[in-house]
Amino acid sequence: MNDTDMAKAERNGEVNGILDGLVEKTEAITALVISRQGICLGQAGTAASLNSTALAALVAGMFSATKEVANIVGEDQFSILLQQGEKRHIHISLIGSSSMMVIVFEDYSRIGKVRLAARQAAGGLLDALEQGRRRKDEAVESLSVPDFKEYAMNLIDRIFVVGEDEDAPS
Amino acid sequence: MPHLDLENRQFIFKIVYFGPGMSGKTTNLLYIHRTLMEKYRGDMLVLDTEEERTLFFDFFPVSLGTVQGFSLKFHLYTIPGQVYYEASRRIILEGADGVVFVADSNTERLDDNLEMYRRMLDNLESYGVDPGSFPIVLQYNKRDFDDILPLGTLEEALELPDRIPVTSSVATTGRGVMQTLKIISKEVIRQFQPTAV
Repeated sequence: MNDTDMAKAERNGEVNGILDGLVEKTEAITALVISRQGICLGQAGTAASLNSTALAALVAGMFSATKEVANIVGEDQFSILLQQGEKRHIHISLIGSSSMMVIVFEDYSRIGKVRLAARQAAGGLLDALEQGRRRKDEAVESLSVPDFKEYAMNLIDRIFVVGEDEDAPS
Repeated sequence: MPHLDLENRQFIFKIVYFGPGMSGKTTNLLYIHRTLMEKYRGDMLVLDTEEERTLFFDFFPVSLGTVQGFSLKFHLYTIPGQVYYEASRRIILEGADGVVFVADSNTERLDDNLEMYRRMLDNLESYGVDPGSFPIVLQYNKRDFDDILPLGTLEEALELPDRIPVTSSVATTGRGVMQTLKIISKEVIRQFQPTAV
């Protein structure tokens, strides 16, 4: 990243800021960071038409399945996955051992740029994710766990409505 | 441990419906998806084969509301039950906060249920999870069939501890489905320890 990108990343709050810079540089439609468990950790670009929750779950599953394929052919894992479509393409790459970066782009001739930008952003994203983990620990410390549990239980009672003819647990 | 997304201020808990092939895992999820009000549920993904057997997983997110400034979400998954999809099952189970084991009550499926339950325990242990304290609900599905296992059969054969809640259901009609979801959700919240998120 250049200095401008770095400053932008700091302003926007780490992960999303870095992804903003990446989208700008590659003219991608969207860029996401997702966890290996299939949860979207950050996103940039114009992804209004994309269901990022579903995309994250599917891509994480796909990447993990590919790891099994890698093992079968004697590799530990494939660090990059590329899906080429007619109009849109997806570049997926690992960030450390527990996250991955997903870039959706249209002009396939930009694949070189996408690869380069993904590689350059990976280090910054890894640091940003680590910082995010530390901030999470602080946020969680401020949580009142008994209250959280009580409110959550109330929501479950209210929303997961059990019909009158349902069996009680034995 | 649930996922905490600080950027969007949300806690996400992952619940996996596990069990042998054709035991009714997808049917459970479809019923839940149909029953929940639209504002609480996201789109459902169903990845199945031409024979309608789950190929990879089914999935949909549930948003319950806000607790202490955080959105509370559950991500519901099923696994493919066929024996040869072991790798997929292991992948989907990773990071789970709770499991519903959907057993097929047909007498002839006893061994399949037992084998799949043991595989589930192995998978959990491979992720460093202690099944002894992990939220699990055992659901005896297909209670409307004629030749069914008596309740208690699996608990006895697997020597399950009393702490594991047991429900009976007919997922095709919805009987017992929301009850099961409610119990596993509460188990997950009850055991939530917000450290090392």
